[in-house]
Amino acid sequence: MRYVFDLERSARGLRLNRFLHGLTRQDQRRLFLHNPEEAMKALTDEEKQMVRCLDWKAMQDYGASFFCLEKLARTKGVSNPEMVAAFRGETLEEFLRTRRVPGAR
Amino acid sequence: MARIIGGIGTSHVPTIAMAFDRGKHDDPDWKPLFQGYERVARWLDEKRPDVLFFCFNDHATSFFFDHYPTFALGVSEQYAIADEGLGPRRIPPLKGHAALSRHIARSLVDAEFDISIFQDVPLDHGLHSPLTMMWPSQPDWPGRVVPLVVNVIQQPLPKPGRCFALGKALRKAIESYPEDLKVAMVGTGGLSHQMIGERAGFNDERWDREFLELIDRDPERLARMSIGDFMRLGGNEGAEIIMWLIMRGALAPNARKIHQNYYLPMTTAMAVALFE
Repeated sequence: MRYVFDLERSARGLRLNRFLHGLTRQDQRRLFLHNPEEAMKALTDEEKQMVRCLDWKAMQDYGASFFCLEKLARTKGVSNPEMVAAFRGETLEEFLRTRRVPGAR
Repeated sequence: MARIIGGIGTSHVPTIAMAFDRGKHDDPDWKPLFQGYERVARWLDEKRPDVLFFCFNDHATSFFFDHYPTFALGVSEQYAIADEGLGPRRIPPLKGHAALSRHIARSLVDAEFDISIFQDVPLDHGLHSPLTMMWPSQPDWPGRVVPLVVNVIQQPLPKPGRCFALGKALRKAIESYPEDLKVAMVGTGGLSHQMIGERAGFNDERWDREFLELIDRDPERLARMSIGDFMRLGGNEGAEIIMWLIMRGALAPNARKIHQNYYLPMTTAMAVALFE
């Protein structure tokens, strides 16, 4: 059973998840959008790079909780189907072709 | 005495709230979802419960992994709407029932369910994405909520059987509250979906329909299954339907499903079911 968010993953991803979770605060979102390096200063270089590139799959593999990634996605105007497509290694269009009602998003 | 008048099982997908807030009621892509909630909204309007007891999960919004509770009961008179990254939804704060909550907390601990307690914590879409489909929020909510937050996002999750037993303990807790109150139970989550990994986008309508049968006719069988079973059959994130078992456990044993709707437009199967 891969990609189970367990205590090992939670410990590994704690710093990154804490940053992502911080985006539930409007002041933190503003800071991130206007001065991302300042907002990310607690992260390691590897973590910063994944966030800068919005590399959803890399963040997931690293230990980000999907529900924390959602906060970053909302801040950057990215939808959940776009994230799911990235996890599957597909474009959004490819992913939507597998759905029953592609407009429902 | 307070009494439980029925129960609702419902998905809590965030896009349900988005569709509602954007007024998609007549959009052909969303109409089958809205229609499925009409019967439930009518039931609530007719039965007028004073309190909706909500079993749901926070999505790392108000609770974080620095301290993530397994079962946490809200005991406030009011709950703000949480900011999940887009600012809070424009709906009124939720009205709580602190006295009932406190009674339930004491009763559960007496029954050896050592739950966490929270107050003055904003609540996220896990509660109010389905709520706005069923209960009018304008000019204000017609009743109060008691929120029970369940950990379904960081393993180990509580066992399905434990959730069902918690529902039974909740029945005793609620029905021993001295004030005459009508309470409806709500269990949220699911149905099948997986948001992460190569199996992201997974659904299984056959399992979903079997679950909707079993939660009505044979919840004990669901309660005997493992979290691993639920993840395999309904996807990693689909295992959150164990929260329906809390709701079901709190209903009278002879309660029956009187309505259901199923809609699978995108990544998560959206269902609602009504029990009386």
